[in-house]
Amino acid sequence: MAIDEMTAPAGDTGSARPIMKVENLSVVFPRPDASDITAVHDFSLSVTEGEFIGIMGEPGCGKSTAAMAMLGLVRPPGRIATGTVEFLGQDLGKLDEEELRAIRGKDIGMIVQNPRHSLHPMIRVGTQISNVYRAHNDVSKQEAWEHSIEMLRMVGINDPERRVKAYAHELSSGMAQRVLIAIALSSQPKLLIADEPTSGLDVTIQAQFLDEMWDNVQKTRSSVVLVTQDLGIVANYCDRVVIMHQGTIVEVAEVHDFFNSPQHEYSKAILGLQRRAQEKGVAIAKVDEKAPPLLRIEDLTMHFPIRASKSKVHAAEQVSFEIKPGECLGLVGESGSGKTTVGRCLLRLEEPTSGSINFHDVDLASVSREEFRKNRANMQIVFQDPLDSLNPRWTIKQVLEEPLKLHSDMDQEQRLDRIRELLKLVGLEESFVQALPKEISAGRQQRVSIARAIASNPDFIVLDEPTSALTPETTAEIIELLIDLSNKLGIAYLFISHDLTTVKFICHRVVVMYLGQIVEIGTKDQVFETPRHPYAKALLSAHLFPDVANRRVDREVRESLQGEIPSPITENLPKGCYLFGRCPSQVEKCRNMPQELTELEDGRLVRCWRVQEGELTD
Amino acid sequence: MTTDSTSSGTPEDINPHLELDITKKRRQIDIVKKFREEKLFAFGIIVVFLSIFLAFFGPSIAPIDPTLATGDVSFPPPPLADWPGLLWQVMTTDMENPPHWFGTDSSGLDIFSRTIAAPRTDMSIALLAALVSLVVGTVLGLLAGYYKNIWTEILMRTSDLMQAFPVFITAMILVALSGRNTANIIFALGLVYTPIFIRLTRAEVLSQKTRGYVEAARAVGNREWVVAFRHVLPNSVVPSLIQTSTTIGFAILLTAGLSFVGAGVRPPTPEWGLMIAQGSNNIVHGEWWESVFPGIAISLTVFGYATVGHGLEEDYR
Repeated sequence: MAIDEMTAPAGDTGSARPIMKVENLSVVFPRPDASDITAVHDFSLSVTEGEFIGIMGEPGCGKSTAAMAMLGLVRPPGRIATGTVEFLGQDLGKLDEEELRAIRGKDIGMIVQNPRHSLHPMIRVGTQISNVYRAHNDVSKQEAWEHSIEMLRMVGINDPERRVKAYAHELSSGMAQRVLIAIALSSQPKLLIADEPTSGLDVTIQAQFLDEMWDNVQKTRSSVVLVTQDLGIVANYCDRVVIMHQGTIVEVAEVHDFFNSPQHEYSKAILGLQRRAQEKGVAIAKVDEKAPPLLRIEDLTMHFPIRASKSKVHAAEQVSFEIKPGECLGLVGESGSGKTTVGRCLLRLEEPTSGSINFHDVDLASVSREEFRKNRANMQIVFQDPLDSLNPRWTIKQVLEEPLKLHSDMDQEQRLDRIRELLKLVGLEESFVQALPKEISAGRQQRVSIARAIASNPDFIVLDEPTSALTPETTAEIIELLIDLSNKLGIAYLFISHDLTTVKFICHRVVVMYLGQIVEIGTKDQVFETPRHPYAKALLSAHLFPDVANRRVDREVRESLQGEIPSPITENLPKGCYLFGRCPSQVEKCRNMPQELTELEDGRLVRCWRVQEGELTD
Repeated sequence: MTTDSTSSGTPEDINPHLELDITKKRRQIDIVKKFREEKLFAFGIIVVFLSIFLAFFGPSIAPIDPTLATGDVSFPPPPLADWPGLLWQVMTTDMENPPHWFGTDSSGLDIFSRTIAAPRTDMSIALLAALVSLVVGTVLGLLAGYYKNIWTEILMRTSDLMQAFPVFITAMILVALSGRNTANIIFALGLVYTPIFIRLTRAEVLSQKTRGYVEAARAVGNREWVVAFRHVLPNSVVPSLIQTSTTIGFAILLTAGLSFVGAGVRPPTPEWGLMIAQGSNNIVHGEWWESVFPGIAISLTVFGYATVGHGLEEDYR
């Protein structure tokens, strides 16, 4: 059913006429030594009314350049070398700058990355919306101002009468992004071009925002061209997918076809993780349930003092969980939920305020720093940004040699052997030893990071968002590598991530955190299939899994959280349940009733009295 | 084991476009290329090498002993206008009794010999002073940036205080207090230039210490001071190294300046500032050569070092 609706989105009310037709568009960046770079090569695309198109590809593949070039915008010294762009029957190439400007912003709207930087910092947002509206419509200032308020209401900003007078810095990034969409939609454009509009936003905000755009497409029958790197967005919102690779379109497909049977090699690579999992059965080994825990943390609390103030940042509150040998525990939550802090506290990169960290039956929270330092051989970490976490002046050899020098008494020859062995383990060639970090790709940098972490034979590694700086296909490779290493070496992981797709793939059990508290702990299946805590439910619902069989836009109820995560400083914290105010299932009693983490009959822990009393069921 | 171990990827897997070229030359400041392409930078490099050469060999190649008074008192340099005669003179130079190219001063000392012998004094003071301030400044800057406590706070306020005084006055007072000898001059100059290096290093350390590799170094199991000196320091010294060239130039100027006011080296040591000072009394009598030649030497040297510093800085940014 759903498929039929999707394939012919414009078919049901009339002819599916193309509103924009791009043919053989090429963008060239000249270089002084005459070796020009063709950033976009022979780009052809036709956009139908009411269609939601996604353009995907690796960074630098020319997807943003192509999207901008459709509007005739190319960053100097680049220029459009060949091709025509026809918009509503008009050849945009023949129009002069003045006529183009009349179309941009009126009939074609744009939303760019990084909302904060795209808004003028010294003009009220209402004025910015009005200016765009008045540039294309003959209305008075007063009318435009009222229209701005209307637009802000439409994009879901609470209290638009007050927000319309705000400046960009007074808005959260989620709200700033909505203001941008309000500007883009103010003249009801027939085509909206959005360049990674949600990068840097949390999943819950991302879902709110894309829902907004989707609803707008449905309401006004406009079209959207969305540039993204996120498979989840494509799977859940787009009708058609354009895959770009090195400046060329390699595949254009209907979204279901793309996910079910990708044609081009590169498309297959992009779909890597699930595809390969199905084909080869890559999976992490089962854990011995009866084994004593390797790591047990109890009531770990981390408060950061705020300078010249009595209040504190409550980054983590009484966090307790345990990890068995060889187990992979996922730690998920929005940014600001304290998940990274927990990981850093485990390694004493932050000194926890209170609580205990039992590792091999020693409380590591109370030993001296020097004592802890000796323990670091057993406990390692892989960081989010691979390039940043490698010393820029050190070769790969030096990087990998350091832990060996610190934690073993190998001589130089033995160390070299071990380095070769490590490189082999992480799938790198020996010739990389002399490379500097910046000379190798991000995926390989992360492999080096992982090699450094396993160099001292640890039992446990904290993976702090190890894949979030990587492209989808590199992510797939790294996850496979991590699974492989855990199976071979029996290493336990704490996998911290906001990317639920990878968590689902690698973890045995999952911890969900919100505002520094654990709200739910359960096995992967429990949490992913039947989440019980309202926050866990909303988080999972908002997360865009690249699964075309269950598209968010096809769901009847799109659960989402209202607003954004508050900053966890003392005076901001709710008295009762921390989720109060955002929770879809809240009742008055929640306001003043602190919640306890309690075990349910199926063995999972949930911090919600309504779930515990059986008031909330699926 | 359920995993196919080859699945974790070979380097040339699905990302051929990201193929690595390790043989590609590392992007470093290519001095040879810069020397060929930028005239000003080339000039600076020549000056730097010439000054160092003269510091080593100047006194030995000086045609006349720079501290030996000859019989020719206040002898003018050969007139440039009579250039055929000058050329003839050059070609028939008697090595035993060379002419005074730059003339002689009122004591009969040969200006040319003194000018090329002076770098030994000027350069060694300036180089050592710059080295002292570079080393002391970088280490203190590292500590000040890396550790935030009452001592580093005091250190920074002290260096603020030092920078508030004019460099020349501070150096003069320091030399006057500690005694007028070469070691003290080096010490004084090193001290007045240290705050610049403290600031430069500290600023870089502050930004470097938030980088991930610092955290990673800690997580690998390094002691804190090892993290500071082995990881943060090498990544924070580049601005200071570039500043050194400019500082050497200024130190030469300051050395000469101190001699000029009588707080520097003692006569008859060949030293540019001293020569200018002695010659300045006689300019009114028309004996310009005593001051002008060492003056030109100072200007060229300072300018050369500053150009090199500037050129390196441009490439670094």
